[in-house]
Amino acid sequence: MKARMQNSSSSALLKQEFLKKWINGLQTYTNTKKEMTILDRKNAIKLSADIAIASTRNFSTNWSRAVMADVSKNVDGSSKIVTEKILGRKETCIIKCSKNIMRKSRLLAHRKRAIRRTIGRTSVKAASAIAKELVKKRTRVLKRLVPGGKQMNEICLIKETLDYIASLQVQVDVMRNIANAADQCLDSTERSLL
Amino acid sequence: MGFGLDEIHDLISGPTQTGSSSFTALLELPQPQAVELLVNEDFPSNHLPPPIFPSNNGLIDRATKFSVFASSHNSPESNAILSISSPMKPDVVKQEPLGSDSHPKSSSPTVSNQSLKSGKRKEKERKVKESNKKSKKLVADGGEKLPYVHVRARRGQATDSHSLAERARREKINARMKLLQELVPGCNKISGTATVLEEIINHVEALQRQVEFLSMRLAAVNPRTDFNFDALLAAESGLSIDNGYMGMFSPSILPEGQINGSRQVQYQQLWHSNELHQPVWAREENNPNFITPGNSLLSYGSSANSGKSTVQ
Repeated sequence: MKARMQNSSSSALLKQEFLKKWINGLQTYTNTKKEMTILDRKNAIKLSADIAIASTRNFSTNWSRAVMADVSKNVDGSSKIVTEKILGRKETCIIKCSKNIMRKSRLLAHRKRAIRRTIGRTSVKAASAIAKELVKKRTRVLKRLVPGGKQMNEICLIKETLDYIASLQVQVDVMRNIANAADQCLDSTERSLL
Repeated sequence: MGFGLDEIHDLISGPTQTGSSSFTALLELPQPQAVELLVNEDFPSNHLPPPIFPSNNGLIDRATKFSVFASSHNSPESNAILSISSPMKPDVVKQEPLGSDSHPKSSSPTVSNQSLKSGKRKEKERKVKESNKKSKKLVADGGEKLPYVHVRARRGQATDSHSLAERARREKINARMKLLQELVPGCNKISGTATVLEEIINHVEALQRQVEFLSMRLAAVNPRTDFNFDALLAAESGLSIDNGYMGMFSPSILPEGQINGSRQVQYQQLWHSNELHQPVWAREENNPNFITPGNSLLSYGSSANSGKSTVQ
């Protein structure tokens, strides 16, 4: 029980931090005069939310670094501005460095994997082998889902998944609350109009 | 009595022999006498004390048949070694010296393992392949693992460095899987890694989809309301966060009649989502799907905007 309560208080702090950063990032869009389609708006919201949730981890986790590396890949101006707003100048430079590091490690991992594949495989078709195949398949899918998962070994992958799921949960909760509140407000204003 | 061993890639030399075989041996270059060991015999069930590797003529025969690196080494008995290069483990060859060839063939006392010979051939083959994979993995990881892990083998389990490393790794993975099971709802009752993984995948996908939908929903919302950042920043406890979202939105219908000093201050610290939508209003004719309440609130919007002119 204690653990749960601690969890909830720490997650509340996380939510607060995420919300602040998210709104911070969104404010950059208020200055742009160009017209935004609904899709642009959605992308802007999502981008700010992703950057915000990744930065709440202070980039101590692989997935948050991978998210930022992906973001900085799009050399489009707005993402840079949002990043700078949320993180500050120094960290954006760090992100750029980490992007190169990740590229190099990706190449290395590729070579390692190529070597491993050349080793012969057992062709025993037992139930345990089938189960192992399933597990392998699913770890591959999971690697695809978790950002930056391709370069991790299994142990890291599971640890990152843990963290990623928790952060996603925070993100979803906050966004849902905001959306609900906005809708409620809208409804109440509509009702008062009628 | 026969001391059997699983495929072992162990270095045993007298002084360094410890209570449990450590896979650090893999990482070190072997001393001249000690040579890599790959003996494929079955391990008797309860062999906890340091494994002793008898040299065995029968073993050597088997080794030649399968052409693997097979050398038996027994420090207490300090028997001679024979190693044969294996085509399956080219990388491992790098780590262990091939100088074993220089060692004379052993004429050491044979152990009565020959009874194990026939039945164990297939297992040996499989284990050889397994050990190849394991040794490769350990070799590949060798550069990264700095602290040496000393593990004590449990009763009824093999004590070779391969299995120990594998077991330590497996335990790590299982411990983390348990944590994951607790995090993902509904995973507690499931047993089996594959199904748990599937649940985890579904959960991650669902969460990602939810983020997409919510951001679309937020983009579609026309927040002609003002967002009170102050209330958010002042919120300390988690409860107020969850319940306080409503307090952050003050309906824009109010500004007309109730703009007073404090409200002005509030409005000046607002989240100008209105700015986000203003350009869209310009295109409202072209965008019939747009939420219609926005149109009706235009009149109020202008007054609200005038209140925030300083921030614009």
